[in-house]
Amino acid sequence: MERASPPGERAGESEGRSPSVEIDLSDVRRWSHEAMATVYEVYAVHADLTYAAQAAQAAFELLDRLERELSRFLPNSDIARINHLDAGASTRVAPSTLECLGIARHMFDLTGGAFDVSIGTGLPSLELDHDESVVRATTRGVRVDLGGIGKGYAVDLMAELLEEWEVPMALVHGGFSSMLALEPPAARPGWPLTLSDPADPSRRLERLTVRQTALGASGVRKRDHIVDPRTGDPVRGRRAAWVTLPRPLGGAAAAVADALTTASMLLGPDEIDALCRNSPGLEAWILDDAGLLHFGEQTNGDA
Amino acid sequence: MADEPKKLDRRDVLKGLSTLPALGLFGYAWQRQRTYQQARVTEVAAAAEAPAGQQVINVALLGAGAQGQVLTDSMLRITGLRVRAVCDIWTEYNQKRVVNSLKRFKHEPNAYEDYREMLDKEKELDAVVIATPDFWHAQHTIDCLKAGKHVYCEKEMSNTLDGARRMVAAQRETGKLLQIGHQRRSNPRYRHCYDKILREAHMLGRIVTVYGQWNRGVTPDLGAPDRYVVPQARLTQYGFKDMHQFRNWRWYKGKGGGPIVDLGSHQIDIYGWFLGTNPSHVMASGGNLYYDPKTHEWYDTVIAVYDYDTPLGPAKAYYSTQTTNGSQGYFENFMGDQGTLLISESEVNYAGQLYRDPNAPAWDEWIQKGYVSAPKEQETKAKSDSGAIADVRESVAPDQHTVPVTLRDPYHQPHLQNFFDAVRGKATLNCPAEEAYQTAVAVLKVNDAIEAKAPVAFTPSDFKV
Repeated sequence: MERASPPGERAGESEGRSPSVEIDLSDVRRWSHEAMATVYEVYAVHADLTYAAQAAQAAFELLDRLERELSRFLPNSDIARINHLDAGASTRVAPSTLECLGIARHMFDLTGGAFDVSIGTGLPSLELDHDESVVRATTRGVRVDLGGIGKGYAVDLMAELLEEWEVPMALVHGGFSSMLALEPPAARPGWPLTLSDPADPSRRLERLTVRQTALGASGVRKRDHIVDPRTGDPVRGRRAAWVTLPRPLGGAAAAVADALTTASMLLGPDEIDALCRNSPGLEAWILDDAGLLHFGEQTNGDA
Repeated sequence: MADEPKKLDRRDVLKGLSTLPALGLFGYAWQRQRTYQQARVTEVAAAAEAPAGQQVINVALLGAGAQGQVLTDSMLRITGLRVRAVCDIWTEYNQKRVVNSLKRFKHEPNAYEDYREMLDKEKELDAVVIATPDFWHAQHTIDCLKAGKHVYCEKEMSNTLDGARRMVAAQRETGKLLQIGHQRRSNPRYRHCYDKILREAHMLGRIVTVYGQWNRGVTPDLGAPDRYVVPQARLTQYGFKDMHQFRNWRWYKGKGGGPIVDLGSHQIDIYGWFLGTNPSHVMASGGNLYYDPKTHEWYDTVIAVYDYDTPLGPAKAYYSTQTTNGSQGYFENFMGDQGTLLISESEVNYAGQLYRDPNAPAWDEWIQKGYVSAPKEQETKAKSDSGAIADVRESVAPDQHTVPVTLRDPYHQPHLQNFFDAVRGKATLNCPAEEAYQTAVAVLKVNDAIEAKAPVAFTPSDFKV
C-alpha cells in the first residue's frame, strides 16, 4: 500500500544518508505502492504537493489495472487466459497487454531467444493480432510470464501519465530494477543514480546522472532466478547486468531496457557489444567474477 | 512444443534496436500511432462481428469514469455488441478516453455530454449501461427505461430508497429489463457455491454466523490533470459543488454512501443471497477515524451487525470496512454446523477454502460430482477387512478442499453477458431490480443505524416495492 497523504517522505532523508552525489534533492518527494510483487515508487518535484500526490495515485491506479491484465498469478488476467488457451483457440486482451506482448516478441527476435517471456515453451506459436487485439495460440502449452518486461512496461505508462498530469520532474521505478528518469528537478543536471555490486551493496561500481533515460537491472542475488530459455539451465558466473537507454517520446524505453537487461545476463560479451554498437544510445554493464564490463558510448555517466 | 534451443542470430543483433522492423528503438512511437490510425479506417461493421445468427445489440455507455471504463473493458470482450454512444460530462478527459479506446476496437460511438440529447438522437439503441454517480442512477435509469431501452445500472441502485423504489416501479411500468451491477451474482464461482455447495449439497449444514471485510489503504483524494478541469458552470449544472466533489462524490452525503455502500453492498448482497433471506435487524457503528470529515462526509470505517431468521434457524452476521490499510483485502466467510466457506471475488487471495467439520457427513459424493476439489492428500480409505474396525497406520492430515471453479474473464464480464443474453431472450437476469432493491434496503439502513446509535428493525414488507 501507499501512505501518500501529502507531503510524501523526503527522498534523501528516508534513505538515512545524503544523496550519492552533490546534487540537492531536498525538495524531492516520494510515494510508494505495492504491486507486481514489489514496491513501485514515484519521486517528483512539484510546487503543489497535493496535486503531485494525486498524480502519483493516478499512476498507481493505472499500475493496478496493468497488474490485473498482465499478472500470470491472477486467474482472470489476460496472461492467465492466454496460458490456458487450447491449440487454435484465441482470446481478446487489453490493447496494453497486446502492446507489451508485441514488445516482448520483438525482444525475443532481437536477442535470438535469449529474452523469452515463454521461457522456452514456444512464444512464436502465439499469434498477435493487433487490429483485433486478439491473441491466438497455434499450439497448446505456451506459458507466458511477463516478469522480465511487465514492470518496465508499467513504468513507461506511469511516466506517460505523469506527463499528462504535467508533473514532468519525476522518476518512476518498479522495485528499483525497472526505472525511468524523466526531467530532473529544476536547475539540476539529472537524477543521480548508482550501480552497485549485488554481493556487496556498499561497493559502488558506477555513478550516473541521467534524464529522459530508462534503466534496467538484473542480478542473481536471489540464487538462480534467471534461466536461459535456450538451454533451460540457470545462469551462472554472471552476477548482474544493467542497461540504460535514452527515452524516445511516447516510446517504451523502460520495457525495452527491462527486457535487454534480462537478455544481458545470458548474451556473450561480443553479442552485447554488437547490440550496443548498433543501437544508438544503448549502454550495458555486466558484472562477473572478472569484474565490471561496460558497453556502448559513455554519454551520460560522470564516472 | 518448445523450440529447439536457438543460437543467437548474429544478424539480428547486428541490426541493433534502431532498425528493428516495426519496433525500432525510435520507431516505436510511430508504430503505436500507425496501429491507431489503421484501426480508425477499418470498417465499422467489423466491430460487432457477431457469430452468425446472433442479434447485434446497440449499446450506449452513460458514465465513462473509472467504473464505466471497467465495464467498457468487459463489453469489448463480449461478441455481438455495437457501442453507439458514450455520454459523460467530463468531455475533456474520461469521455475522450473511452471513445478512443472503443475506436481502437472499431466501434464508432457518438459522444454526448447530455444524456437526454443522446436518448433523443440515438434512436437505434437497445440498451444503456449506466455507471454515473449514485445520486444520478434513479433519474438516468428511469428516463432510459421510459425511452424504451433495457438498462444495466451499476450498484448501488440509488443513494436513496425512494430513488430505488421508483426504479423498480419504472421497470415494471415499461416491461424493460433492469439489471443491477452486483456482479458476483453472475460470477461462476459464486454461482457454483450457491447452486451446488449450498442449495443442492448443503455442505455447510445450517449457517449460523457470517462475516466479511473489505480493507482498503489510505489514498490521496482523487484529482484531475490541471489541463482537463471541468468548468464550474458545467459542474454546477450536474449537481457538483466543485471539482473535488465531482471526483470524490462517493464520500459526500446526498451523492454517494461511503465505503459501506461502495464496497459493503457487494458483500452484504451475498449474505442475503446465500442465507436465503433478508435481515430482521441491523446495528452499526461508524465514523471518520482517519479522513477529514469536511471532505469525507461519509464514514471511512463501519462495523455492522445483522440478525437473520433463516429457513434453518437464526443467524448473525457482521461486516466491517475500514480505510486505513489494505492488508487481508476482501472476503466473505460462512460458518455452518457442518462446514465453512471462505470466498472472495479475488481468487488469487482467497482460493475458496472449504472446511468440513470432522463429524459432518462425508463429502465423497460431492468430490465425485466435482462440486468440491479432492483433498490434496487423498486419504486411502481403510477398506477394512471384515471383522476389523480400522487399519492401524501412519497418521493422515485432515482433508483440505476448495471451490473447484475459476473465473477466467474480467470480474464484470459474466454479469454483463447475462444482461445481454437476457436482452436476446436467452437468459433471465441474475440481479433484477427487485432483488437488488432488497440489498439496497439492507445496506442503506446501515448509515441510518449509525446515525440513530440504535438497532434498526426490518419487516418483510420493507424489502418489497
